Amino acid sequence: MARSKPPKNALKTPATARFRVGDRVRVKNLPNLFYTRTQMYVRGVVGTVAACTYQDVIPEDEAFNRDGRIEQYYIVRFRQKDLWPEYQFDNDTVQTESPERWLEPVDN
Amino acid sequence: MSHTHKPGNDGAEERHAAAMVEEITDFEVLEIAVRELAIEHGLFTADDHRRFTEWTESVGPAAGSRLVAKAWIDQAFKARVMQDAVKACKEIGIDWSEPTGFGTPSDYMNLRVLEDTPTLHHVIVCTLCSCYPRPLLGMSPEWYRTTNYRRRLVRWPRQVLAEFGLILPPEVEVRIEDSNQKCRFMVLPVRPEGTENWTEKQLAEIVTRDCMIGVALPRRGRTADVHPVHKARRPVQGSAHSGEAAHERKE
Repeated sequence: MARSKPPKNALKTPATARFRVGDRVRVKNLPNLFYTRTQMYVRGVVGTVAACTYQDVIPEDEAFNRDGRIEQYYIVRFRQKDLWPEYQFDNDTVQTESPERWLEPVDN
Repeated sequence: MSHTHKPGNDGAEERHAAAMVEEITDFEVLEIAVRELAIEHGLFTADDHRRFTEWTESVGPAAGSRLVAKAWIDQAFKARVMQDAVKACKEIGIDWSEPTGFGTPSDYMNLRVLEDTPTLHHVIVCTLCSCYPRPLLGMSPEWYRTTNYRRRLVRWPRQVLAEFGLILPPEVEVRIEDSNQKCRFMVLPVRPEGTENWTEKQLAEIVTRDCMIGVALPRRGRTADVHPVHKARRPVQGSAHSGEAAHERKE
C-alpha cells in the first residue's frame, strides 16, 4: 500500500529534469513489458509539457515492489484533434502524466 | 436468476440463494484471505476491520466543498491551494499524510487543484482504474469507476457531459485530466453569479461532489443535502401513505 516516504509536490523544475513547461514532446511507442501506466491513446502523439510534477519510482519497477529507478514525471497536454482526427471541437484538450522515459523531444 | 429448480430423484432439492451477477473476483478472494490471516495473527480484529470499513465508506466530499468555498472567498487561501494543495488542505482539517488519524497515510501525496475559468472547464477521470482524491472527496461514485465513463470521457467528453446534463458552449475549452499516475486532481469550479454576499457555509452547500469531478456546475439552490423527491403521478386515493403525506415527511 503506502510507501514509507511519499514524495512531496515538486513545484520547481529539478536540475535533472530534461523537459520544461511549454516543451513539445512526443510519447514514445514502446512495447508494453509486463506493466506500464502510459496509455495507448497517447502513444506517438505530440503534446506540450503542462507541468513538471515530482520525481518518483517508475511504474514499470514499482509494480513489482522493487526499489526502482526514479524519474521526473510530467503532465502533458494534448489537443483532442491530435488524438482523434475527426474530433469536432478545436479548443478541447486532454492531460495525462508520464515519467520521463516515455517522452522524446520534438523539434519545433 | 440463472438458478433453475430441477427436482432431484430423491426429492431433496438443493436450495441456495444464487447470485444474479458474477460471483467474486480473484482480487476479492485475495483480500479476504489476507484479511482473515491478519485477524488470525491478531493484527486487528474483525470488528476493527468493520469499523474501519464503515468509516472509510462514510467519508464524503464535504472537505472538498469547504476547500472550494474557502478558495472562492479568500484569494490568499486560493493562492496557497494552487501553490501546494496538500499543504493547503491542512487549513481545512485534512492531512493527506494521515487522513485516517491512526497512521494510514494517503497512498499518493500529489494533489493538484484544477481551476476553471469562464473559458476553461476541467473534468477528472482515471482511464486506468479509479484514482480519486479520497481524503477530500471520499469514495468515488460507482459510475466513476466504470469502463464506460473511463473510456468514453477521454474520447467523447462533450457527449458524456451531455449525458450528465451538462452542455457547454463550443468556445469553452473542455480539458480532461487523466489521473493515470500519482497526481490526484480536484476541480475548483467558477463561483456562480448571484452568490456575492454568501457565507462560506452557504457556498460550500452548493459545491456538490459532481461539481468537483467536473460533470456538473455549482448552481444557486442546488445543494447536496436536499434530496430530490419524485412525487407519485397517480397517488392512491384515501391511503394513509398517499403521495402527499409521503412528500411532506421528506420535506
